[in-house]
Amino acid sequence: MVARGLFFMTKAIFFFISSLLLLVPLFSFTGDISTSDQLLLTAPFILLFGIPHGAIDNVLYLRSRNIKNGHFIAIYLVFVAANVAIWLIFPIVAYTIFLLLSAYHFGQSQFTHYFEQQPLSLKSLYLFWGVTILSGLLYFNISEVHIVMLQYEEFASFSPLHKEPYMLFLFVISTAITASLIVYLTAKKYLSTENMLMEFLVISLILICFYLLPFLIGFSIYFIILHSLKVLKEEYHFLVAEKQIGSIFKFVQLISPFTLFSVGGILVLFGLIYLEFIPFSYGYCLLIAISSITLPHVFVMNDFYKLPFNKRKAPEQV
Amino acid sequence: MDLLSVLTIPKDDPIAFTFFTGYMAMLAASIFFFFERSRVDDKWKLSLLVSALITFIAAVHYYYMRDYYLVTGENPTALRYIDWTLTVPLMCVEFYLLTKAAGAKIGLLWKLIAASVWMLVAGYIGEAFNPANGDSSHSVLWGVLSTVGYIYILYTAWFGEVAKLAAASNNEVVKKGVRTLAWFVLVGWAIYPIGYMCMPDGWLNSAFGWGSENVDLFYNIADAINKIGFGLVVYSIAITVTEQNKAKTA
Repeated sequence: MVARGLFFMTKAIFFFISSLLLLVPLFSFTGDISTSDQLLLTAPFILLFGIPHGAIDNVLYLRSRNIKNGHFIAIYLVFVAANVAIWLIFPIVAYTIFLLLSAYHFGQSQFTHYFEQQPLSLKSLYLFWGVTILSGLLYFNISEVHIVMLQYEEFASFSPLHKEPYMLFLFVISTAITASLIVYLTAKKYLSTENMLMEFLVISLILICFYLLPFLIGFSIYFIILHSLKVLKEEYHFLVAEKQIGSIFKFVQLISPFTLFSVGGILVLFGLIYLEFIPFSYGYCLLIAISSITLPHVFVMNDFYKLPFNKRKAPEQV
Repeated sequence: MDLLSVLTIPKDDPIAFTFFTGYMAMLAASIFFFFERSRVDDKWKLSLLVSALITFIAAVHYYYMRDYYLVTGENPTALRYIDWTLTVPLMCVEFYLLTKAAGAKIGLLWKLIAASVWMLVAGYIGEAFNPANGDSSHSVLWGVLSTVGYIYILYTAWFGEVAKLAAASNNEVVKKGVRTLAWFVLVGWAIYPIGYMCMPDGWLNSAFGWGSENVDLFYNIADAINKIGFGLVVYSIAITVTEQNKAKTA
């Protein structure tokens, strides 16, 4: 249960710090970038790394379980449909669930390589760590968020959630709880002092990244490097350990079908909006689509992280 | 009389204050490392000499920089980079000496020195030749190029040859020491880019409303932490291993 003290920086953290050092001056030099231009810049990377990290949920969940792939996909689609229904009936509830699950998932992927088992204090850390970075993202970019909210009428119902004082309150409270939990877990020997320092450094850098960079660019740098690439690496090592694949090429082959299916699905969705079959904006539909992919993925990854270390950790993390 | 007027430190000038304290701290550290050499095993004497040289070279430069700053009120950019061009490669020598027993080859030393010189030369061009017309493209370009050298050293210390050699050394003190030095490179050296981004028309000034006088404030703080800190880590390793050896032979 105790964190292993042999490593203190993952390659994902190194890559994140390096990218931050190189990209922050470049983006601050370019000045203001519109939200649509940010989307154009970040979309290829999100499609290339973000979507693939959730494209083998079926393989990760089925493992040696006696469940057929078709059944899993059917249950997966039921989750997706239920999520879409909630979005249509209670958008604020759906949006809140999406943010909370995302927060937990981000926190879990950040810390999970330290812990083989996950008591309640660790699960609390996952949630509050995620809430800290998401509330920081929204608070530091509140003017950009308000512009998006005003641009699309569907987002108007979320406006009360994004009031600046609420965001600041949530950010301060979650930061304080996260910091306290990290110190508590260090005192309880779940984390070493160096692990603690590294995690404080990382969360500070993520927040600096959100503060200094435009909304989507800041988030994408975090999401792609610290989250998606790390998870992809863990998935790769799991599949190698399970002898399901033997090379990166086989891994790419495995993640390609559902990646292409997801990208295709989003394109079809956009086509239907363009043809006015769907009465929502592109941004709103994209949010629903992303939350629908995220919902089952969070549960699958939660199950995946229950695996012992030797099944899911990259060699340099062991 | 002239000398006294030069040495007057304005009460509200933290930069002048850090120049003076930096100078004294570096000099005191040099004397400490020089004298402590006699207390460690022979194989650590060179490491401590290098530590002493780093702080001594810095102390001499700080002696000139503090006066330059007080007389002109300007950043002593050229003196600063002359100091770094001598001391930063010496810090790389410390990494080499620490891992030498585990099989570090001379190539590692040259690679680290090349990366540090690249980092400093690019940083100097970016800072010393920054146009005064408010165009920050020059400083951003050279700053990014300089950062590439820093990232190389960071990688080497955390994942590359230095980290691997330390892991292979089978000596917990050396492992811990190299890791501590890697922390210095990660956190301590990262203070320098903050100072760099505070130069006139630097984007940190516009992002946080800071002034260009912060360049020297950050550089002085970073120098004190890194140069003296680096030396103290090496000293700590040397003295611990020496005492362990003494205990074994006793």
